[in-house]
Amino acid sequence: MATTEIYRYLTIKKGKYALDPEGYLVNMNDWSPDVAEALAHEEGITLTEEHWEVLQVLRDFYARYEMAPAMRPLVKAVGQALGAEKGRSIHLMRLFPDSPAKVAARLAGLPKPTHCL
Amino acid sequence: MLLHVVNRSPATSRVYQQALSGMSPDDRLLLIEDGVQGALPQLVRYYAGLEGRLFALKEDLESRGLLGHCDASVQVVDVDGFVDLTEEAERTVSWY
Amino acid sequence: MQDHHHYDSDLLVILRHGPHGSSWLKEGLDAALVAAAFGRRVSLLFMGEGVAALMPCQKKGPLGQKGTAETLEMLEMYDIDSLLVEEQGLSCLGLSSDDLMLEVTSLSPPALARVFAEHRLVLTF
Repeated sequence: MATTEIYRYLTIKKGKYALDPEGYLVNMNDWSPDVAEALAHEEGITLTEEHWEVLQVLRDFYARYEMAPAMRPLVKAVGQALGAEKGRSIHLMRLFPDSPAKVAARLAGLPKPTHCL
Repeated sequence: MLLHVVNRSPATSRVYQQALSGMSPDDRLLLIEDGVQGALPQLVRYYAGLEGRLFALKEDLESRGLLGHCDASVQVVDVDGFVDLTEEAERTVSWY
Repeated sequence: MQDHHHYDSDLLVILRHGPHGSSWLKEGLDAALVAAAFGRRVSLLFMGEGVAALMPCQKKGPLGQKGTAETLEMLEMYDIDSLLVEEQGLSCLGLSSDDLMLEVTSLSPPALARVFAEHRLVLTF
């Protein structure tokens, strides 16, 4: 869920961005590729082309449905946009370890997915 | 056989229609809370066709002073009877 | 479309409220999405006033409140494709299934009773 509680700030060269207790951007409009890089750095992830295309799928999903997807619909959306080879949970687990739906939503500047634990 | 439970009066709510349209020929209907009004002779006509399958909860009739006013076609059950009905049914569907 | 196909899903979620007036519809959809996200097969049944949730061209509320139309469009991404509508609910609003934003199966009262009997779990919203 999107929260408005400011827990800490992400500080990069361009500015200072409010994060909620779980590390999601409080204000979605703060998102930029630089912010994504910094959030990824916190996760120990270096963003590659394969990461960026998934982040774009997520941002498109949110623009259309106004919600961040749980894992199953994320896998489906990635499959539809990037092909069956990438529309698999193993691919997403490799890119965004632990909890792809949550981690990728965070890096894409979306609120936390509503329908997953 | 499913047990459908309705807690609104047919005098104020059309929920009874939704319950009826979801019922199979051997399903049962139990009236509870404000729904027990439907057991009155003036309102029981909304449940025409359910003879032998229409029940009302005694405790809710009693608390509303309606216990002696039920139509003869309605079977009055207490909470234990409610439990029995629930056990006899495959599942319970609530309408509110 | 009133064929006799079997609704082989675990959960039937009944939606009986329209958009914007209360949170019932949203909560019912949330329950369906959570179940689907965990791999359950889900059917949605729109009854009575709930049929209004399927009107095309819905907008945000006057204060910018989110509606439910986007969520309904998202159902296919959660593989919720069993969308059922009470025939009576439709005709009550002067609508036919062709007027709705999604493809649905319209159910007569006997078909409706069958749907109830065929689902292991029924949640009413």
